[in-house]
Amino acid sequence: MKQTTKLLSSLLVAVLFASSALAEVRTWTDTKGRQVTASFIGLDGGDIMLQTADGGMHKFPLTNLSAEDQALAKSLKPSEQPVMLANSAVAQASAKVDLLVATGIGRANPERIKGGKPAITGFNAMANDEQFVRRVYLDIVGRIPNYDEATVFIKDSNPAKRAKLIDMLLDSPGYSGHMYNYLAEMLRVKDRLEGGNNVRGIPYINWLQKQVEQNVTWDKMVFDMLTATGKMWHNGAAGYLLRDSGMPLDNLANTLAVFLGTDVACAQCHDHPFADWTQYQFYEMASFFGATSTRYQRRAPARRNKEGMEMVDMGNKLMPEMEKIIESNGGDMTRIRNGLQQFIGANRYAITDTTTNSIKLPHDYKYKDAKPLDPVAPKFIAWSKEDRSLPAYKQKTKDEENLRVAFATWTTHPSNPRFAMAIANRMWKRAFGQGINEPVTNIDDPNQSANPALLKHLAEEMKRVKFNLKDFMRIIYNTRAYQSEATTEHIAMGEPYYFQGPLLRRMTAEQAWDSYMTLVLGDPDKYKKPLEDLYSKSIDLDLYNPKLDAQTVLMKYDAYRKMDAKERALMGGGLASAGEGMMMDDAKTSGKDSKPGTDMMMENASLSYNGMVLRRSSELDQPAGPGHFLIEFGQSPRNIIDGSDKIGSVPQVLMMMNGRAQEMLTNNDSLIFRTMERVKPADEKADVAAAKLDALFMSVLIRRPTEAEMTTAKKTVASDSTGYADIIWALINTREFIFVQ
Amino acid sequence: MKTELNRLNPIARREFVLRTAQTALGVSVMPSMLDGVRAAETASKAGGPGSPGFGKAKKVIFLWMNGGMTHIDTWDPKTGGTKGPTDPIKGKGQVDFLGGTMTKMAAVSDKISIVRSMSSKTGVHDAGTYIMKTGYEPRGTIVHPNLGAWASHFLGRVKGVTLPDSVVVNSGSAYPGAGFFPPALSPIPISNPETGLQNLRPTTDEGQFQKRLSLMNEFDSSFRNKFKSEEVKAYTEFYDETMKLMKSEDLKAFDLSSEPAAVREKYGRNSFGQGALLARRLVQAGVRFIEVQFGGWDMHNNIDTALTSTGATMDQVFAALIEDLASNGLLESTMVVMGSEFGRTPDVNENEGRDHYPLAYSTVFAGGGVKGGFVYGSTDKDGRRVADKQVSPPDFQATIGHAMGLPVDEVVMSPSNRPFTVGDKGTPVLDIFA
Repeated sequence: MKQTTKLLSSLLVAVLFASSALAEVRTWTDTKGRQVTASFIGLDGGDIMLQTADGGMHKFPLTNLSAEDQALAKSLKPSEQPVMLANSAVAQASAKVDLLVATGIGRANPERIKGGKPAITGFNAMANDEQFVRRVYLDIVGRIPNYDEATVFIKDSNPAKRAKLIDMLLDSPGYSGHMYNYLAEMLRVKDRLEGGNNVRGIPYINWLQKQVEQNVTWDKMVFDMLTATGKMWHNGAAGYLLRDSGMPLDNLANTLAVFLGTDVACAQCHDHPFADWTQYQFYEMASFFGATSTRYQRRAPARRNKEGMEMVDMGNKLMPEMEKIIESNGGDMTRIRNGLQQFIGANRYAITDTTTNSIKLPHDYKYKDAKPLDPVAPKFIAWSKEDRSLPAYKQKTKDEENLRVAFATWTTHPSNPRFAMAIANRMWKRAFGQGINEPVTNIDDPNQSANPALLKHLAEEMKRVKFNLKDFMRIIYNTRAYQSEATTEHIAMGEPYYFQGPLLRRMTAEQAWDSYMTLVLGDPDKYKKPLEDLYSKSIDLDLYNPKLDAQTVLMKYDAYRKMDAKERALMGGGLASAGEGMMMDDAKTSGKDSKPGTDMMMENASLSYNGMVLRRSSELDQPAGPGHFLIEFGQSPRNIIDGSDKIGSVPQVLMMMNGRAQEMLTNNDSLIFRTMERVKPADEKADVAAAKLDALFMSVLIRRPTEAEMTTAKKTVASDSTGYADIIWALINTREFIFVQ
Repeated sequence: MKTELNRLNPIARREFVLRTAQTALGVSVMPSMLDGVRAAETASKAGGPGSPGFGKAKKVIFLWMNGGMTHIDTWDPKTGGTKGPTDPIKGKGQVDFLGGTMTKMAAVSDKISIVRSMSSKTGVHDAGTYIMKTGYEPRGTIVHPNLGAWASHFLGRVKGVTLPDSVVVNSGSAYPGAGFFPPALSPIPISNPETGLQNLRPTTDEGQFQKRLSLMNEFDSSFRNKFKSEEVKAYTEFYDETMKLMKSEDLKAFDLSSEPAAVREKYGRNSFGQGALLARRLVQAGVRFIEVQFGGWDMHNNIDTALTSTGATMDQVFAALIEDLASNGLLESTMVVMGSEFGRTPDVNENEGRDHYPLAYSTVFAGGGVKGGFVYGSTDKDGRRVADKQVSPPDFQATIGHAMGLPVDEVVMSPSNRPFTVGDKGTPVLDIFA
């Protein structure tokens, strides 16, 4: 492929706008004797059009080919359909996307020229193998490739190797961690939820990770999140609504922004100032959640179960008795009360659907179409008049207990005018650095986007692949547009972009950390967080079980505290809290059902360096704690949608220059040194330094040094015993390292 | 000379004065002379040089209450149906009442001005935060600067100090930071005041460190030449800034351990208390604008318990900071401001909490030329609506900018050639200044 790429980049003249055609795959030779394996698409004036295995279309003068091939080309019939070397359906889908990108570029040019900007002549040059392998690892598995992964790919001569690598990466564990990071940031998934009460997002985090691992389709994931009931540790999907317990209106605004690319947040308080959304419409949407409760009411009138029996919250009832037990055991209730109440309180967070819709207009509602505090019936919003005749809108909205199901069915329905488009636009942005429609949370009018035809086509593709995100990304990664070099032109904020290649981007915090982990561990996916969810195991109490007694609650609380401490130790944070004095001796609580925590304890399989737990970002605290590499690098605090940033800062630079992570990489025991030793030639007479430096550059920057760089590097290692460490330090501190080409 | 001066447009006039001063007098321009020019420019509008409080706040400590601080339980307590879990307590001067957990602030309320008539348009955390910190609504096309960056733009970098002009404490992110101004004007984020600025020392000796830097620049040169984007350039600027800072003597300002234990206790051993103490040290070290963040205000559930922790901590820290600044003689020149993205609903919800409420809320000012024991504006009896003298987020920004001596109505063009002012054309609330 190396040869192929070279030939193509030298021959490549412009983007091909032609339609696809039936193809014969063969090896073509040019006048200089270089070869490429590609299928014949057709002739266009004096040009020939070929398609390579990766789906890329190439157009160049026919006269560049050998006389024999020129004659052959003239004899061939242009074909109807592209036949690809591998995975033809994907290649075909990718080619169609490329065509729309190319058309979009063509349409944008007159306007650009008018604005004094140069016309875009076509896709950027094809990225070379080194650029491609680095980018595709970072984009699909969220880290740079290790030395072996990079060199194996670069040396591979299989013409279909790019498509093969994409397939392999999409099926590797790294895909799940990286996709989880993206979704977690978008959905604001976090461990320690606001409002205290010991409610933790762990079961939700685990649920989301499992969904991604199993490649559950997007529509199903969203449906499950919107309709889940019960406690989070019984159904992780319940975390979506419980995450925002107590603030259903904010949750709804986020739901619409994230899943439907529709920003109605303003309409929470007043009619939307720019778009057509009214406050009344917002409340109509909120009404779908009006019969849903995310919390058992501590002081509310007693609930009744299905048999009409009164359900008593035992957490309240047992408190005096628990106080007595603790005090008689010499415990200090003032020190324990808060924690105990939070432990019990966490069990009040559960989603239930009731039979009464409590949604009402706010007391300060000021528009004439209704009065303050009026009840509001559920009604779907529509983006155009025709929308209401779509199948998605055929939902029953009368049955209070099933309102969420109606809402979720409408939301995730293929004919919902925004659902497929919103996620397709987001996935496109993941690959290219910019959405076709910006911002991705507000697709007000697709026709105003940078490339309306492309946006609509991608929405259709998302439906065609049945919301299988992996399959969708496969199409995008196989496009010629994606496999182009990164755009060097500076695109100002808010300026439209036409996708002649991906934009240059700084690594996300997670990509940077996971790349460091790759440099340290080689295969960081081997190191996982402890599998067992100790939190879910120990927190559960059935507060409405009339047989619940004070002794059991206290015992469970004790076990919970022990496990919390243990779990903290396992997660590598707050070791100090492990082994803290427990409120009661084990002897006093043993004898009843639950076993003390010892058998839950697990070996911590992770490595650590100077207090840093060496695992991938998706396997660490969500989000990481204050001062962590990830936080300094702009990891989202998970309070707002897509809340990360990529801004540099002084602490960040200090960390890269002087922090523990760089120390770990420049250490003589680091994997980079071991790789250099492993690959250096055994022959003493060979240029050992050159081979080692090649390996060093390949490990860190995924490219070989230039001649000038090699000269400098050789001089450095010859003159200084710390030369190799100095070069590692220099390379991980380059902009080239921290940006994704 | 005077007529010639008047013919020039405002910017040219200032430059003219500066140049004349530098060449004719051989010294840098005297502030009073510049003030005169600004006075001429801004005479038609409220504020500006010569008006109350202008330029009195040489430093600003901005206490940011993350999550939406409940106004009824803190600065604008009510006794009717919307009363909070505790009874209001008496303050000093015009500060008739404060929330029940505000005992320490009540004692120093003769040093504060409360604005009880804030009103904003958005009840969403991120948008509300953005508008309170920049004066502008968030847009997909530009990032607006915060006040620290505006101040550096108008007043220049603080002279003789190697620390940055602004710092954000208790946050990993400086956002929105320098906005469209150069990244060098961005605040330094300090995620943990106890540990301050980490990794200040190279792990090698100076010679080797320099060698590493020159290798970095050499190996990176082709990439930097190929990709001349703003983002790449910004990173290179951060490396330059960081290198300067690493050599700075002023870094000891970040070392809280050199404070007496009693002082540290007085502020409270928590991130907000120690963050406020760090802010005071940074003021002494010359940093101009310090934001200290404190979360926990998003009290949708059980507001009574939330207030006994978050509310009481805020009370202790704010009061300690005012007293400490006063006893160090810094309160005259340092303005302490407390703000939040919005207030909270007057009605308590089903979870015994309060929800987001942008229609009426409060902000607080102390020091830097601000009146003591003063209340500006009011809400109705239940705290639902502004009853008098409504203040918008742009006005709030303009007020701080005015106190810092910034020309708040001067238009600055962004690199994308769009016009902006400090706080989006807000009007400073001059009544709060003595």
